[in-house]
Amino acid sequence: MLAVMDLQVHYGGIAAVKGVSFAVEKGETVALIGANGAGKTSTLKALARLLAGYVTTGSIRLAGEEISTLAPHQLIGKGLALVPEGRGVFARLSVAENLTMGAYSRHDKSEIAADLAHIYDLLPRLKERQRQLAGTLSGGEQQMLALGRALMGRPSLLLLDEPSMGLAPLMVQKVFETIRAVAATGVTILLVEQNAKLALETAGRGYVMESGRITLADSAAGLLADPRVRQAYLGE
Amino acid sequence: MDVFLQQVVNGLTLGSLYAVVALGYTMVYGIIQLINFAHGEVVMFGAMISLSVISAAAGSNLPPLAIILAGVLVAIPACMALGYFLERIAYRPLRRAPRLAPLITAIGMSIVLQQVAMMLWSRNILAFPQILPMVVYELAGASISALQIAIIGICFAMMAGLALLIYRTRLGAAMRATAENPEIARLMGVDVDRVIAATFVIGAGLAAVAGLMVGLYYGLAHYMMGATLGMKAFSAAVLGGIGNIPGAMVGGLLLGLVEALGAGYIGDLTDLCQYGTLSAMLETRCADGGNVVLFGSNYQDVFAFVVLILVLVFRPSGLLGERVADRA
Repeated sequence: MLAVMDLQVHYGGIAAVKGVSFAVEKGETVALIGANGAGKTSTLKALARLLAGYVTTGSIRLAGEEISTLAPHQLIGKGLALVPEGRGVFARLSVAENLTMGAYSRHDKSEIAADLAHIYDLLPRLKERQRQLAGTLSGGEQQMLALGRALMGRPSLLLLDEPSMGLAPLMVQKVFETIRAVAATGVTILLVEQNAKLALETAGRGYVMESGRITLADSAAGLLADPRVRQAYLGE
Repeated sequence: MDVFLQQVVNGLTLGSLYAVVALGYTMVYGIIQLINFAHGEVVMFGAMISLSVISAAAGSNLPPLAIILAGVLVAIPACMALGYFLERIAYRPLRRAPRLAPLITAIGMSIVLQQVAMMLWSRNILAFPQILPMVVYELAGASISALQIAIIGICFAMMAGLALLIYRTRLGAAMRATAENPEIARLMGVDVDRVIAATFVIGAGLAAVAGLMVGLYYGLAHYMMGATLGMKAFSAAVLGGIGNIPGAMVGGLLLGLVEALGAGYIGDLTDLCQYGTLSAMLETRCADGGNVVLFGSNYQDVFAFVVLILVLVFRPSGLLGERVADRA
């Protein structure tokens, strides 16, 4: 589904991502874990082509097609959606408008309406609040909205950037339950998380990133059992 | 004649024109935080182009309304093209530049457009062909012309149409999303460059109609007419809260009313003869209903800028603005 080869990102003179290669197969959930500043978010942003002002090199193939030369707004049409760090809901648009924006690239009106109903079933809180401005939602509700909005684009590959960030523990559980439910429907997920335990419990495989490089790659169970991971990321 | 009601009528006419022009400033600011100082010149081009078309057709036997319609139908696409051209060649290359650069470019484009208009239409004040018959209605002691009714009606219709576009359509949602966060809008599949271009084009279309109506209302057009008008409409946008669509409408109408009422009363208020002590000192000149007026209605233009200064001092975010702008 996704194959990344030798991806590099430079902010001015600083190399944030120093040549990473990884792959995500169709239908699986893959976690990308690592400490703050390891280059996880830069990697995701590079995949979503949001670093146009900076130097990025390497190859990014989505379902066999090179996407590293496309404009960011063309990616959703190729099936790639990113739920950004900090959620990025449109605070001054209503909940319903946010969800409709998620389907901006689509033109199949009746299908969009059906998907909207489906999202409301999956996330009933959003239905209750559909007329409210998104900025008035709680952090957890905004995360749900960001997730629902991305799903409205019917992505085949969903990139999630720190979905647990800034949320209360109970809300984190709920968000991850939703992520598992989405994964169960066959959507391929690349999950970036600082909460390594939660991420590896959700994913089938994982990569560990350190200072801009991938240093470990294994099944989620393997990583959870690895003493290096246990010591550095699970607080043991 | 009822001065108050009369000035309210005049103020509403003026104010609805300001509001339509102010929308062009506020839409562009809302989406790319740029004050497009050349917007007043787009209004001027709208007036000049429609004047040329109307003058050319004035000799024919066409009904006056058809001639005016022809003028506006040429002016709208021409101004839209001008708005697109401004964005494409002057502002888009500077999208990532420090904010001062596009601002100075906007002032530069404004001067360029004035000079181009001067070369095309001369430096003279041009008379707008008066092909419409003057029809005036009496209304509770004030008079209102058919043209004023038409201007107010058309301006309100355009504002309603724009509100529908922005709050009810796919393009409008994309505009609001881009205004809030262009990067996230891109993730949704919005072609941000096209949305920004569309914003300029829509604002320029409104400006074209406003230009024609200003020309008809005052009966003249001049290559510098966009400067004052533009600054006033900009003041109206700031008064309402720059970047805020309803704010520009409210700000424009309020500014028009302030200006008209100010001009209507400033003569009486600054007539020294009505103040006891002073009138004694000026006895000879005040006798037999004479007066010594300090400021007349030619000070009309001052009011817009007094309002601008007051807003910037006391409420920089404007009447309906939500955040205080810390950007140039």
